Amino acid sequence: MTVLGIPILTLVVFLPLAGVLALLFVPSRRGREIKLIANFITGLEFLATLLILRGFNPASGDMQLIERADWIKAFNVQYLLGIDGISLLLVLLTSLLMFLATLSSWEAVRERLKEYYIFLLILEVGMIGVFVSLDFILFYAFWEVMLVPMYFLIGIWGGERRLYAAIKFFLYTLFGSVMMLVAILVLYYQYHTFDLLAMLESGAVLPLALQSWVFLAFFLGFAIKVPMFPFHTWLPDAHVEAPTAGSVILAGVLLKMGAYGFVRFSLPLFPDASRKFVPLLIILALISIVYGALVSLMQKDMKKLIAYSSVSHMGFVMVGLFTFSPLAIKGAVLQMINHGISTGALFLIVGVVYERRHTRLIADFGGLSARMPAYAAVFLIMSMSSIGLPGLNGFIGEFMILMGTWAVNWVWAAIAATGIILGAGYMLWLYQRIMFGRLENPANLSLKDLTAREFATFLPLLVLAFWIGVFPKPFLNIIDKPVEKVVRIVNPGYFEKAR
Amino acid sequence: MEPLSPAFGLRYLLPEIALLAVAVFSMFVHIFCRKRGHRWAGYVALAGLALVAFFLVLSPASSVPLFSGHLVADSFSRFFKFVFLVAGGLATVLSFRFFDVEGAEPGEVYYLMPLTIIGMMVAVSSLDLVSTYVSFELFAIPSYILAGIFKKDGRSAEAGIKYFFLGTLSSAVMLLGMALVFGLTGETHYPAILQGLAGANAHVALMGMILFFVGLFFKAAMVPFHMWAPDVYEGAPTPLVVFLSTAPKAAVFAILIRLLAGLFGRFEAQWSLVLQAVSLLSMFWGNIAALVQDNVKRLMAYSSIAHAGYLAIGLAAWGETARLAVLFYVFVYVFMNAAAFGLILLIRKGPGFGEDVSDLRGLAGRSPLAAGCILVLLLSLTGIPPTAGFMGKYFLFAAAVEKGMVLLAAAGALNSVISLFYYFRIGRAIFMEQESGGVRVEPSAPVWAVLGVSALVLLLLGILPFLLTNLASAARMTTG
Repeated sequence: MTVLGIPILTLVVFLPLAGVLALLFVPSRRGREIKLIANFITGLEFLATLLILRGFNPASGDMQLIERADWIKAFNVQYLLGIDGISLLLVLLTSLLMFLATLSSWEAVRERLKEYYIFLLILEVGMIGVFVSLDFILFYAFWEVMLVPMYFLIGIWGGERRLYAAIKFFLYTLFGSVMMLVAILVLYYQYHTFDLLAMLESGAVLPLALQSWVFLAFFLGFAIKVPMFPFHTWLPDAHVEAPTAGSVILAGVLLKMGAYGFVRFSLPLFPDASRKFVPLLIILALISIVYGALVSLMQKDMKKLIAYSSVSHMGFVMVGLFTFSPLAIKGAVLQMINHGISTGALFLIVGVVYERRHTRLIADFGGLSARMPAYAAVFLIMSMSSIGLPGLNGFIGEFMILMGTWAVNWVWAAIAATGIILGAGYMLWLYQRIMFGRLENPANLSLKDLTAREFATFLPLLVLAFWIGVFPKPFLNIIDKPVEKVVRIVNPGYFEKAR
Repeated sequence: MEPLSPAFGLRYLLPEIALLAVAVFSMFVHIFCRKRGHRWAGYVALAGLALVAFFLVLSPASSVPLFSGHLVADSFSRFFKFVFLVAGGLATVLSFRFFDVEGAEPGEVYYLMPLTIIGMMVAVSSLDLVSTYVSFELFAIPSYILAGIFKKDGRSAEAGIKYFFLGTLSSAVMLLGMALVFGLTGETHYPAILQGLAGANAHVALMGMILFFVGLFFKAAMVPFHMWAPDVYEGAPTPLVVFLSTAPKAAVFAILIRLLAGLFGRFEAQWSLVLQAVSLLSMFWGNIAALVQDNVKRLMAYSSIAHAGYLAIGLAAWGETARLAVLFYVFVYVFMNAAAFGLILLIRKGPGFGEDVSDLRGLAGRSPLAAGCILVLLLSLTGIPPTAGFMGKYFLFAAAVEKGMVLLAAAGALNSVISLFYYFRIGRAIFMEQESGGVRVEPSAPVWAVLGVSALVLLLLGILPFLLTNLASAARMTTG
């Protein structure tokens, strides 16, 4: 499928680069034009990713719309793109959140606009590239390209401790990914290809010892990204210091890449090692859930609270993935999307008051619902979505994960469920402290409610939250077959029992 | 094999002969041209380097040993010769800017560099102990002069003297190694030595090999023979450091490769071990010591020690993959160093140049274009895509993994992470910190040219690496 003569996946990966090129030729004092171009490109990019749906067959679990060309012939490296249901959802999420993040920056970012939008657009290239590349070297290239703009977004436009947070983020994630590079090379000399599809088709099963080492190296790369306890310490710093758009992208998309990596590469390529390391993964994931939630409870900074809640929520996703039951994995994939929607929205919500008051401390607020009713409503819906209230998106994902997990091991499910209870605790308490009570702080008396632009930013997320909450079928249909394919490799026993 | 007539061999030496003519011509221009003779000597040298590079690319390669097997003009040596010419050209261009600011222009620089290059060109072609040693000294001696060319500047003089004393010492050690090898076999010709070593005393042979390597490790600034590098790089005139930190290193690696593949082919297990050790030491020491440097030139000196370590991974894992990786990296490395040292020449502080990391603060605001070029450079030095540095490291690590040296590759990868920290101290200063007073950014055409070309090459080879890998994999080596 091509658009304007360009294969669709190539188009969606590199379209933001056109924006970068355009921005390079705009003088940096033309702020308005720069913002218009950036918003136009990210909007166009979202529409372009929607176009993928036209050529996509949701009934198939295979990679589709494959584009293949030689890249570095001497090393057998290909330019290989393809997409299945799982990556399609993530691509759509990415392009939507990118568009909203750009839109939300209109007033929030006032200095060095040109560089800011250039970095955002390069970031988008990297993120979309990660989700659609099927050649390991290409995947790795996009995976690392992404780090650079994020480093600058945090380091230039971030908060007070931005320099520290930026380099910490960069060092941590680079460390994880270089070990993955070595593992990729080891894989290459086993399969003699970097092509994921060819590796899976070859049917060759690596010896367990080798699988384990390679699995652990990939684990390091992905677990740092997710992030799982005890690799999570970069996250609160990066989230708190990043500008709003950066936090939205970090929470909404970057964290998903870790989980995506597990489901796309680790489970299918190292099924034996995956089974072997289930106890490790589940224990770390359960610790992440409970620990993340407990730490959230005692945060004084809104952004930090939401950052730790991400650790908890991503723990849920990881539990779902490593039960190897189709129901839980589907729930986990859906929960990745849900988390992107609700946490992305929550960071935008924090951004709204931060822009007005330049503080994120919970104690500085209180009684805001009186001054900002529309804001209070949006905040309420998104908190509920994060907690998992039935009728909203979070419920579907968490419920599927818990159902699937319960069937495998009820203890895991029970421990995971405490995360939901604690989650309700910290979110509701946060909401209560900010929205209810008397409006005491004089600085808050003149707060303005959401502007039309801000409301427009939240609208798509609100619609999605209700849509997935009430009628998740289209989303589940798309990931049904790809997930089944993964389960068939990693847990073949499941389908035999079912029969 | 029947020795070919000397006249036949001369055809393949035309690049070297032409370069000699360039050097002599440049010297005459320097002496006899009344008005700005030194600068005209520079223009002549630059044009000469470009011309020779052009003819080198066109000239045929031959796998037949020439001059009774002393030299060979194979495509492997041709690749390295091209690298030397590029390094010399970039250094010459940067010299124009440097000497403009310094006010004094020692025109000798412009013909000493071609002379050095001739030495290296012969060295990488050499298949014989005698011609290897002679050509090695031929490029070593002018390079001592280059380092100390500013006699009145204490730092430069110190650099020259230090480089000279330590350099001659290590040459002597190398000569001792050669003597041992010669004594065992009675041969100076590489293939003959390879034969002769078959029945020789392995202990003495290994001792000879290691002493031989010591001289080479010294020139490439590899741990534990690296001590001179930070002082020399800091003291020597900046544009000449571009040359001294790249070309001799490339030459040494080419010589080493000829030794590994030819002369000491029998001792693969041993030299691989030696090179692994040197590689690990160089990477870790170079990167860790660079963490605490505030002077960009010193920082880059330690970084170049680390890069020699990365390159040594390729030698330790020598093979088809490694050959491609080493050639690729050597070429890319020239542009990385040219850009890194070129950057300093943009920053003025007082009468001289701003060499501290803190002098780079706020460069992004003053000169976004330079900042963009430097960003590409930093990514490349660290080994992050889409830059040539990433591709080079990826090839090197692949070579190591292919030979089963997974831990060595992992150590290299870990070192990339360490190096991120200090390279992005520069990045942080340029992009994230406020300008400090007393520093000016002066536009300069030669520096812009070098920065722009380097950034472009690094980016282009990062996205389309096959442009170079095809060339590198075509570079066949004749062992004799």
